[in-house]
Amino acid sequence: MPWPNLHPNRHLISRTSLLSREVMPFALMLLALIGAALAADAGLHLAGLVWIGRYLGIPGVLLILASSAYSLRKHKVISSGKPVTLLRLHERLAWAGSLLILVHAGIHFNAVLAWLAIAAMLINVASGLTGKYLMGPSRKRLVANRAQLLEAGLSDGALEDETYWDSLTYDLVKSWRVVHLPITLAFCVLALAHIASTVLFWGWF
Amino acid sequence: MRRWGLWLLVAVLAGVIALTFAWPQGMVAPGPVIAAHREIAGNCFACHAPLRGVSAQRCMACHKLNDIGVRTTKGLPVTSGGTQIAFHQALSEANCMACHSDHTGPLLLKSAQHRFAHALLRPDVRGQCAACHRAPATPFHAHAGSNCAACHSAKAWKPATFDHTRFFALSGPHQTACTTCHIGGNTRRYTCFGCHEHQPDQIRARHAEEGIQNIGNCVACHRSGSGEGAEGREGGVEGGRDD
Repeated sequence: MPWPNLHPNRHLISRTSLLSREVMPFALMLLALIGAALAADAGLHLAGLVWIGRYLGIPGVLLILASSAYSLRKHKVISSGKPVTLLRLHERLAWAGSLLILVHAGIHFNAVLAWLAIAAMLINVASGLTGKYLMGPSRKRLVANRAQLLEAGLSDGALEDETYWDSLTYDLVKSWRVVHLPITLAFCVLALAHIASTVLFWGWF
Repeated sequence: MRRWGLWLLVAVLAGVIALTFAWPQGMVAPGPVIAAHREIAGNCFACHAPLRGVSAQRCMACHKLNDIGVRTTKGLPVTSGGTQIAFHQALSEANCMACHSDHTGPLLLKSAQHRFAHALLRPDVRGQCAACHRAPATPFHAHAGSNCAACHSAKAWKPATFDHTRFFALSGPHQTACTTCHIGGNTRRYTCFGCHEHQPDQIRARHAEEGIQNIGNCVACHRSGSGEGAEGREGGVEGGRDD
């Protein structure tokens, strides 16, 4: 039996809002990264400047390293810097650094090690964007939904039933967000191995 | 993340690093090596010196300079139908990577490869075409001499740039077989009296009116069939020589 104080189309409204406010920006940011990398790669090919891509890995890594100031602040390794400002820097520098590294990688599947590092980096970007666009809003929506249902006079059991899918979605998004740090570790190890092998085999002198 | 998850990740990463040492040609190399080097594909240091990249010295440890183009690294003679020319010995610099890349996959490495260029040869060898090339067995080339550069560029054998107009424009009825003028195919000499149009008595009589006695070297005055004789050099070489 429908609850009288609740809007009959509230699920539909909620899903539309979820799509436009959370999922779309999330997908667009990820697609923008891939699109920008493809465009830059095509531009370098058309201009006959593919060799530049070989060196873009260096500024890319430096940008990602600079972006890690937020993580250091968050885990109290450093104590200076405003967390909100550092978070914004983390998002922008990591996005730009990832773009440069994607262009550096090109669309050529050669060494497996480097491609594992790229895969780890992309998973990391996706998990970071999950934190930015999906986790906060889905928590807020879950809390608001619960409050609305409580206000409508639902029992605890009915409340559980009504919020089951929202809770499940939130848990999934949360666990996706949790992998951000371990995948960063994987990316660091794989990228370091790739850099070490390049330093070892490349003719620097 | 749970502790076991972290340990699993560390174990996977350790496995990946171990695989890098065990299978470097797949994990680290930018594409497979050429088929002839398949046996040493797993030994990166056969060609790469640490921090110095590919070293020509390491290439030449197997590919002896004097043997390149002559015999294989296993001592067998190179059989390529006689089209290959052993020129590596005459290169001004031993820089194998300027032309060769062992990793065939990446576009970047392919685009960095260069074909042979005569500019890579030592200056003292660069002008000695006959050291590497043999002139085609044609009547024209039989008398062409050793100045290949007069007609051919170092960029490509064809097209040749020989321009007969430099000597005489082959227009109208002069577009005929070479042997009409160059008797026996000897391009170092010519005669204008190989056709009915130009008979010696007739030509001598016509030129006598102008006070011209030497009618043997026509191109000294006539550079085409339509010229009146003023376009050529005055008092040219005697006896109808093309040089």
